[in-house]
Amino acid sequence: MDNKEFKNKRIITVATTGAWPKKENNPNVPMTPEEIADDVYACWKAGAAVAHLHMRDDNGNGVMDPVRFKKTVELIKEHKDCDIILNLTTSGDIHADDEIRVAHVKELKPEMASYDCGSMNWLNSGLFLNSPKFLEDCGKLFQETNTKPEIEVFDPGMIANAAYYLKKGVLKAPLHFQFCMGCANGITGSMKNLVFMKETMESLCPGSTWSCFGVGHSAMEMLYGAVAMGGNVRVGMEDNVMYAKGQLAESNVQFVERAKRVIEEFGCTAATPDEARQMLGLK
Amino acid sequence: MTYGCLWWYYECPNCGHKFKYGTDQFEEFGEDFGKCPKCSTPGKFEKEGAIMPDDKLYEEC
Repeated sequence: MDNKEFKNKRIITVATTGAWPKKENNPNVPMTPEEIADDVYACWKAGAAVAHLHMRDDNGNGVMDPVRFKKTVELIKEHKDCDIILNLTTSGDIHADDEIRVAHVKELKPEMASYDCGSMNWLNSGLFLNSPKFLEDCGKLFQETNTKPEIEVFDPGMIANAAYYLKKGVLKAPLHFQFCMGCANGITGSMKNLVFMKETMESLCPGSTWSCFGVGHSAMEMLYGAVAMGGNVRVGMEDNVMYAKGQLAESNVQFVERAKRVIEEFGCTAATPDEARQMLGLK
Repeated sequence: MTYGCLWWYYECPNCGHKFKYGTDQFEEFGEDFGKCPKCSTPGKFEKEGAIMPDDKLYEEC
């Protein structure tokens, strides 16, 4: 991959659903395989190159159901013109056991899947556990299925974890990070911290690519910051149901369109899925 | 992943105003974090959550 060729490209990842927001938080959150597939297709047309997918059960709760993942992927692929990169979560239910968390990766062998590189207290109310054993097994599985890990990191310690697994051969270079900024119990979303995360990544895992998003009040600061610093961006209702203060998001397309405007106003362009594949070194 | 920040919800023991602060605003507000935006009285903490069903009742600070 020639970094210079893609110097002015920015990958937009859309995270449409997440595990938490319910219809009562925002009635526009897509939840069924049909809703998610339609939304992903619309977001691809709007400029998203990657779709990060979560599934929900019939009650709207986050679930790691391989049947729903498969159904959603099939519905997306019915759009023959859509070449969006599919990035499937492995962390859609904090109560799921390690086996079910990766069952869909084994079956569907997606181009990308999330790899949450450490554990943390979640919203001060639960545990988000990613044990050393899970991370080792998951990393090795991803190599077998040729799945690029989206290494989600909520603090700098998780970047150090990634460096450890890189040295151990559990992860393969070049790595791709998703800086999850501003999440409760994670690193605060600020430019100072974004610079710190990027510099930590560059010193521990040189040659890596990165993307980021800000949750809550840091959302726009992280969007602008990532674009300016040469990183890629993630947007969508998984991370923010509010488009602006006091304003519910109408759709994930709204987020993607705004990200594309920001990128273009900065003088760059949103990467197509094929350009993103080259930038990320996908199969 | 949290569809927004973790909010702390308050009611002012002085004027009864309901308001909320994001837990990602500790630094921004400093010692004023948790104070009533109307009368500056420290609020009575009611609950926390990532957007609640009665969220619209609370002024966002």
